[in-house]
Amino acid sequence: MERQIINKKKRVFSVEPNKIPPSEVFTRKYTRLLVPALKKLNMNKNSSQANQLTVKHEVDMALALSAQEFAWSRFLLQKLSSSNNPTTTTSSSSNGIRIQKRSGKEGGDEDGEIEEKLRELQKLLPGGEEMNVEEMLGEIGNYIKCLELQTIALKSIVEDTT
Amino acid sequence: MDYISPQTYNSTLSFSLSLALNPIRKDKSSKFLNLLSMDLTGLKWLQQHQQMVSPEFLQILGSDGREELRRVESYLGNNLDELQNFRPGYDTIDGCISRTSSFQMEPVKSNEENRVVALQNKRKPEGKRETREKKKKIKAEDETESSMKGNSDMSNTETSSDVLKQDYIHVRARRGEATDRHSLAERARREKISKKMKCLQDIVPGCNKVTGKAGMLDEIINYVQSLQQQVEFLSMKLSFLNPQLEFHIHELSSMMADQRSFPLHQQGSLDYSVINSNQTTSLNALKMETSLSWDVHSQCLYNNLRTDSVFSFFSLK
Repeated sequence: MERQIINKKKRVFSVEPNKIPPSEVFTRKYTRLLVPALKKLNMNKNSSQANQLTVKHEVDMALALSAQEFAWSRFLLQKLSSSNNPTTTTSSSSNGIRIQKRSGKEGGDEDGEIEEKLRELQKLLPGGEEMNVEEMLGEIGNYIKCLELQTIALKSIVEDTT
Repeated sequence: MDYISPQTYNSTLSFSLSLALNPIRKDKSSKFLNLLSMDLTGLKWLQQHQQMVSPEFLQILGSDGREELRRVESYLGNNLDELQNFRPGYDTIDGCISRTSSFQMEPVKSNEENRVVALQNKRKPEGKRETREKKKKIKAEDETESSMKGNSDMSNTETSSDVLKQDYIHVRARRGEATDRHSLAERARREKISKKMKCLQDIVPGCNKVTGKAGMLDEIINYVQSLQQQVEFLSMKLSFLNPQLEFHIHELSSMMADQRSFPLHQQGSLDYSVINSNQTTSLNALKMETSLSWDVHSQCLYNNLRTDSVFSFFSLK
C-alpha cells in the first residue's frame, strides 16, 4: 500500500513540458527578460538622454531573446547587436504612403503587384529579405503572434505603473 | 479467371486505398481475395465499398479529406472506359492488392490533427495512363502511422516510369493540366503558398472579408505595421514612465520565481522547443500558474486572443 502511495506521489510530480502553451511560454520569458532590463536601465542611467532609444532597444532585445525558435529572431538579434544606434523596426510613415499609392494604381500587372507586396512584407520582417517567399510567409505568422503578445505584455507593464 | 471486370478493378483499387490507411485490416485482404475468386459482381459492391472507405479516410484526413476523396472517386470514375482494355492476369491481382494506390495528402491547417497521410500512387503503366498521371517529387513527411508507412513500403513495386522514394510529396496532375516538370513544380509551390496564406488569414483579423492575394497581403502588411507602431508607442510610453517603474519593479522582481540576471545579452535557453514539432495539441484554457499581479493581468488580456491559431501557427514548419 505504501509503495503505491509513494509511486502515486512520484507520478504527480512529473511535469510534461509539452503541455505548456507556447504563447504563455513566450509571454513569461518576455516579461522576465524585459522587467529586469528596465530596472537595470533605471539604475544605470540617471539622465534621460537617449532614453527612448535604449528602451526600444531593450524591448526589441527581449522580443528576440524570448522567441529564439524562430528564424526572424536571429536576424533581429544580429541587427540589434551590430548597430549601436538601434534602428527602429518601423518606418511607418513612408510605408503607409506607398501602400496608398499602390491601391490607386490600375490593376494592370496583377502578378507584379503581388510580388511587390510580398517584397514589402519581407522588408517588415527582420531578416525577411534573406528568406524565400514560402519561408517568409510562415515566419510572418509567428512574428505577428509574437508582436501581439509583446504588445499585450507592454500594455500590462505600462498599465500597472499608472 | 483471366479477366477482371473494370468494376472489380475499381473496387480493388479503392480497397487497397483503405488498406493503406488501416494496416490492421490485413486479414480482410485475404477475405477479399476469396470474394474475388467467387466471381464477385462489381458495381453494387463497389458502391458499398466506397461508402465504407469514406469514413475511414475522413477520420484520418480531417476536414479536408472529403474533398480529396471526391477527387479520387471522380478519377476512378473517369477511368472506367479506359479500364475496358485492361486485362491483368489472375496472378496480378495479388500485385494489385499489395500495390497500394496512393497519394499524399497534406492537411491544410487543422487545429486538432496535423498528420500527413502518405499513400503511394501506383498503377500498371500503360501509354495513355502515364500521360494523365504524373508525379512530382517534393519533400514529404509522414510522422504518424509509421506502421502504415512500413506497409506501403512493402508494397513498393516499381513502375517503369518513376521510382518513388519516401521523402517526396506526390502532386497529382489533374485532367487537362500540363504535366511537365516545371509546371508541376510551379503548381506545387503555388499550392504551398496559398496554404500559408490561408493560415495567415486566420491570424490577421479582418482578412476574411477581403478576397484575393493582393488584398490579403495589403491587410497583412497594414496589420504588421500597426503592431510595430503600437510596440514603438508603448515603449516610448514606458521610457517616460521608467523612473516611476522602479518602485513597482523592485516589488515585482522580488516576487518573481526565477529571476534572470543581467545583462540582457545573455542567451536564454528554451524550456519548451517548438521547432519541428509537428504534433499539435488543442489549446484549452490557459492556466494561471503565477501569482504576480501584472502577470495575471497580461494573461487575462491574452486569454481573449484566438489561441488556437497561435498554436497551430507555432507548430507549422
